[in-house]
Amino acid sequence: MNFNTPVKSRRSAHCTPRQSRLDSSPLTPRHYGQLSSSFIGSRRNSPKTSIHKQIGSPLRLDTYLPETTLVGTGPSSAANTPKRVAKKQLFRSSVQADRFIPSRNSSSTTMSKLEGDNGRANASSCSTSSGSIASNSYDYQSSVAEACGFALNQRILAFKPEAPQSKKPIDLRSQYNRPLKPAVNAQLRRRLPTNAERILDAPGIRDDYYLNLLDWSCNNQVAIGLDRDLYVWNAESGTVSSLLRTTPDTYISGLKWSGDGAYVAVGLSDGDVQIWDVEEGEKVRSMAGHAARVGVMSWDRHILSSGCRDGSIWNHDVRIAQHKVSEYVNHEAEVCGLQWRSDGSQLASGGNDNLVNIWDARSSTPKFTKTNHKAAVKALAWCPWQMNLLATGGGTFDKQIHFWNGTTGARVNTIDAGSQVTSLQWSTSYKEIVSSHGYPDNNLSIWSYPTLVKNGEIQGHDTRILGSALSPDGSTLATVASDENLKFWKVFEQIGKKVSSAVMGGSLASGGKDIAKVMMIR
Amino acid sequence: MAPAQGSSTSGPTRSKLSLKGSSKLVSEFFEYSINSILFQRGIYPPEDFQVVKKYGLNMLVSVDEDVKSYIRRIMAQLNKWMGGSKISKLVVAIVSQDTAEVVERWQFDIEVFGRTASSKKSAGSPANKENSAPVGAKGRAVDAPTDKTIDEIQQEIQAIIRQITASVTFLPVLEGRHSFNVLVYADGDAQVPAEWIDSDPKEVQNAEQVKLRSFSTASHRVDTMVAYRLGTVE
Repeated sequence: MNFNTPVKSRRSAHCTPRQSRLDSSPLTPRHYGQLSSSFIGSRRNSPKTSIHKQIGSPLRLDTYLPETTLVGTGPSSAANTPKRVAKKQLFRSSVQADRFIPSRNSSSTTMSKLEGDNGRANASSCSTSSGSIASNSYDYQSSVAEACGFALNQRILAFKPEAPQSKKPIDLRSQYNRPLKPAVNAQLRRRLPTNAERILDAPGIRDDYYLNLLDWSCNNQVAIGLDRDLYVWNAESGTVSSLLRTTPDTYISGLKWSGDGAYVAVGLSDGDVQIWDVEEGEKVRSMAGHAARVGVMSWDRHILSSGCRDGSIWNHDVRIAQHKVSEYVNHEAEVCGLQWRSDGSQLASGGNDNLVNIWDARSSTPKFTKTNHKAAVKALAWCPWQMNLLATGGGTFDKQIHFWNGTTGARVNTIDAGSQVTSLQWSTSYKEIVSSHGYPDNNLSIWSYPTLVKNGEIQGHDTRILGSALSPDGSTLATVASDENLKFWKVFEQIGKKVSSAVMGGSLASGGKDIAKVMMIR
Repeated sequence: MAPAQGSSTSGPTRSKLSLKGSSKLVSEFFEYSINSILFQRGIYPPEDFQVVKKYGLNMLVSVDEDVKSYIRRIMAQLNKWMGGSKISKLVVAIVSQDTAEVVERWQFDIEVFGRTASSKKSAGSPANKENSAPVGAKGRAVDAPTDKTIDEIQQEIQAIIRQITASVTFLPVLEGRHSFNVLVYADGDAQVPAEWIDSDPKEVQNAEQVKLRSFSTASHRVDTMVAYRLGTVE
């Protein structure tokens, strides 16, 4: 059939024997497809000719041997051949086979380079083609296999078990440009303000970590201590009044609103603790006795606890003349954090001695003393929705926020805040806690609890935030920093929900005065 | 061929740990690659995959229990073979479930430094090797393995994974349902558990091939290649 073309007829004498043997090999049908050489493929279907019969005998091949050595392409092959003839007759025949059909030889090697397994097919076909001469020779096979870039002592193994079926149909296209996480509903996404709701000046505020100079009452009044002056800013009316000015030899080191918002307790640097009636603008009483400055105070109904620089914590009953009812002594350095639990059964205190003490109201020895912080503990906050959960934050060297179970004393969680923690405020509407920071970030961070995921941070101040206070409706956080700014942030603003008084909790509303349903800041 | 002899003789002096560690690294790379391929080629739905940080990238790893255990079984055996340097290729063949045709073939060629010459017993006379040297991949094994830091190796791996990820841009979209097969090219003397059977190479017919990057450790070199069917050409 193809013999009509001159080229193929010339080659036919060489090709046909191989072809005929390939035909007889069981592997042949598969390999034909892979040997894409067109003339071999077309030959496959050709009827067996008389030539086939003539040269079908192995003897015939021997007659070709001299022919091929003559036809050989270079001296190297000529040089090789005698060597191998001497050693291995069979290998020589393989070389010849390669010489026989140059086009096929080249195609097989290039294919083996590109596709090692086609090479393998060729290798096996080569070995079968010459199998009539030397079917059992390992050397021959390996040499041919090697020539085809395929190691003979190799097995192709497949992992037999079926791969598990995909459970649903997959449209690959839908996968492209697809976000890895499903987009969060815009309404559900937590949004944080980047700008302060309002900024007030706080000139002359003392840049002292150990002082507590900012508080927000349940009557929506913000008290701030600026050196010797105490100002009250009414968040509803926007008016500011100066409540008091201390004598020149002392300054305000701590202040705290009473639970009903009618009085403010003022701690002074000389150790005096004063109660001021805000409505009247006059001092109700003075409770002296502390030997050093009073940096922190906390109210539990009529009991005012004050933490002193000497490490002592005094409990004053503000109703009676002998005001000092008990003393908690365990801190060895300045007490800078003090917080009664909302039910008044436990008091948490933090000091410059890196300790956190949890006191039972009935006992003057600490229930738990925690030494985990490695720096002063000023930030303390009891969780409003889980009574026995206490959060404490450490200073510059520590940067940790620890969460404690106040009942068992166990540490339940820890956040590495990365900055000095200056205050902590739990949200009353979200399951979140906000921390204010000093060195190095000077920011506000909002964390989810108990997932401890950071929901965001606000770069609000240029310098370290000294303290913070949460508005009575729980939506707004006031922060004061050493850059002499008092800023208000709507960090826990409720979107889509009515601000109901229920959120604010009974303890805050205990003052008896009605709190505006929606708080206004003017 | 001379350098090959050099590296092969220096091979055994290398500490065993480095070969072990290198095998582990390579197997780990295979595991992540297989997962990446399964994700990128949509063999399993994307919801079944979870992001894992690895090689400084976000790698997607299947969390489907069946797929996980299937891959784990493959990896367990692969680890054994890798430890003994018994395999020279790993192939992930993607097979159409409708026509049972191999439509895509990911091939990882594993070169173990210092093994090629030593383990090839009676492959022929030295003169014979002369012939084989320029053919096939063996010639590359001679590259003297350089001492690389883990970071450098990781970066090479990262580049390959990135290429696998990027390959969706040129690979044809796989229509219909597909499954995958894992093949290995093992040495004749490798121990073969019953789960593994002899197979044809599962070549892609009418294939286009793209060679991806390689990476190498002190003891291994892994070349990556993908063959895929040109959809339009029959």
